[in-house]
Amino acid sequence: MFKKILIANRGEIAVRIIRACRELGIATVAVYSDADRNALHVMLADEAYHIGPSKPSESYLVGEKIVAVAKESGAEAIHPGFGFLSENDSFAEMCQKEGVVFIGPSPEAIRLMGDKVTARKIARDAGIPLVPGSEGAVSDVEASRVAKKIGYPVMIKASAGGGGKGMRLVNSKEEFEPSLRMARSEAFSSFGDDSVFIEKFIQQPRHVEIQVLGDKHGNLLHLFERECSIQRRHQKVIEEAPSGFINAKTRKSMCEVALRIAKAVDYFGAGTVEFIMDQKENFYFLEMNTRVQVEHPVTEMITGIDIVKWMIRIASGEKLPFKQSAIKMRGHALECRVYAEDPATNFLPSPGTLQYVRAPGGPGVRDDSSVYSGCEITSFYDPMLSKLVVWGDSREDAVDRMFSALREYVVLGVRTNLGFLIRMMQNSEFRKAQIDTGFIERHPELLVPEQSDPELILMAAAVAMNGGSNKTAQGTSGTSSGWKLFARRAGVSGNPLL
Amino acid sequence: MTYTFKLGNKTFKVDFEEKEGLSLISIDGEQKEMEFLRIDENIYSILVNNESITVGIFREGKKIQVFHGGDLHEIEVVSGRDASQAEGTGGLNITAPMHSRIVKILKKQGDRVEVGDSVVVVEAMKMESELKVSASGTIKEIKIKEGDTVEKDSVLVALSDSE
Repeated sequence: MFKKILIANRGEIAVRIIRACRELGIATVAVYSDADRNALHVMLADEAYHIGPSKPSESYLVGEKIVAVAKESGAEAIHPGFGFLSENDSFAEMCQKEGVVFIGPSPEAIRLMGDKVTARKIARDAGIPLVPGSEGAVSDVEASRVAKKIGYPVMIKASAGGGGKGMRLVNSKEEFEPSLRMARSEAFSSFGDDSVFIEKFIQQPRHVEIQVLGDKHGNLLHLFERECSIQRRHQKVIEEAPSGFINAKTRKSMCEVALRIAKAVDYFGAGTVEFIMDQKENFYFLEMNTRVQVEHPVTEMITGIDIVKWMIRIASGEKLPFKQSAIKMRGHALECRVYAEDPATNFLPSPGTLQYVRAPGGPGVRDDSSVYSGCEITSFYDPMLSKLVVWGDSREDAVDRMFSALREYVVLGVRTNLGFLIRMMQNSEFRKAQIDTGFIERHPELLVPEQSDPELILMAAAVAMNGGSNKTAQGTSGTSSGWKLFARRAGVSGNPLL
Repeated sequence: MTYTFKLGNKTFKVDFEEKEGLSLISIDGEQKEMEFLRIDENIYSILVNNESITVGIFREGKKIQVFHGGDLHEIEVVSGRDASQAEGTGGLNITAPMHSRIVKILKKQGDRVEVGDSVVVVEAMKMESELKVSASGTIKEIKIKEGDTVEKDSVLVALSDSE
């Protein structure tokens, strides 16, 4: 097993990986940009190295700098997390050449699956169903020809894409040209490559994906599915495991197909095979993500398998000690991504200082976060604050628990999607698992707070103007409460619990 | 003490009076008794008729943020001043929602625009968004050019009401 690992990431995933390392008794090396000097991952790691300016292209995306830190600190392996360099095959190769273990699949597997066109070809060769579309990247002229042939609505997707960047849904011929231009420009600024391909848009599609885990000894397992149909701007917001929709037969066949694709590229490490599904449970291969997924906790909650720890163990050469038949699902898990964004303005990010954060707790509640009171949400990085994950005996229990936990969350200073998430948990269609990727667009009423009685808000405003308390509670006097002083002394207010 | 608060586009008169450990609060004339306790810097526990309510409060100058039930409400303290003065401050302009880069300007000076028309494409956090006008009018001045980096709240395009 490794003695020291470098985490080439930031935010909650860096914290998640550091925690796994600490539990495994592995020393951790953090890297950070200018904007992240005060980030939680820097504080939790054993060592921290500054790698440059805040712009990712000058710090977190510079493979040479990260490998240099690994060598300087004596880290034997690098965990890339998600985003940044996680699906960059040249980086994985660079690590290999420099004698540092890349915690992920082989550079070859990343390359094959990273190019969406090649990935489609591999899937087709393995006899896996695909959504009709263009055979690879297309010119503007070809693009509109294909769109016309397969019929609207169509999707324009960046060849090098992921995470919804450079992706556009086009409903009619009139929208096609401007959407193509925007998709190309977004693809270029995100990936440095403006090639796009065209695909038929499945009506009311659901997003269902299979988690796979393979070791370097040829053992390949699946950890069942996750459903991630609640999306905004083509990015997932609420995920769950298992899906509240598919039957056992579909599950079995999807898991088999996922393993077949993974096997085709001799996959090891953690990976996710994504499918798009229509309302009749027909599923089509979308892509394979060759890294840990944001929503991996829901799978951990229902299987009891720590995916991040296994990624590390696998990279160090360990064999998976369990057989497929030993992996069971139990209960239901839900994840809500808490973002600093304003649902009322089309989910525009809301950067700023987090004046106050209080995360919920209680049985079956897990908050994977990297923020604390006083920290800054900059516009350099993704505005995700936390992933709130709950487990329940059934889907209904999990939704109720999430509803309760969300209402305990308090965030001041920036706008968040918490109110929206709370309203989601009360929505009758969501509660019945009648969801698809167009759900949020169909429910604009969930985006804005209900026009409630302003009385409470005004009362709170009056309280704000009057400071401390009108009641002399124990240890409390005037504007500076005893609790506040205690909290300061104990170092629990405004400080992460280290 | 009487406060004038602005919530959304409405203003409210709120009377607040302390009496024997209780606060009497009346909003636009209706009076209630309440008790409140500051739990820590930003968390308050409020009791009204034994109903227990926890709110997050952050105050900075004339702005108060109240967090309750997952939603953040912003209140402006208009107190003392004539409430009407706080209304309608240049709502026609297009301002930057955050620190961002100007990708494309879709209109030119003198163009007539209708509600919902896109005027500027900005990029922030690797995401492109179209900024739309919230009122019909005419483009009076374009204060930016493509490629510019702009700060939050800076005016990008000035509109004039054509009526």
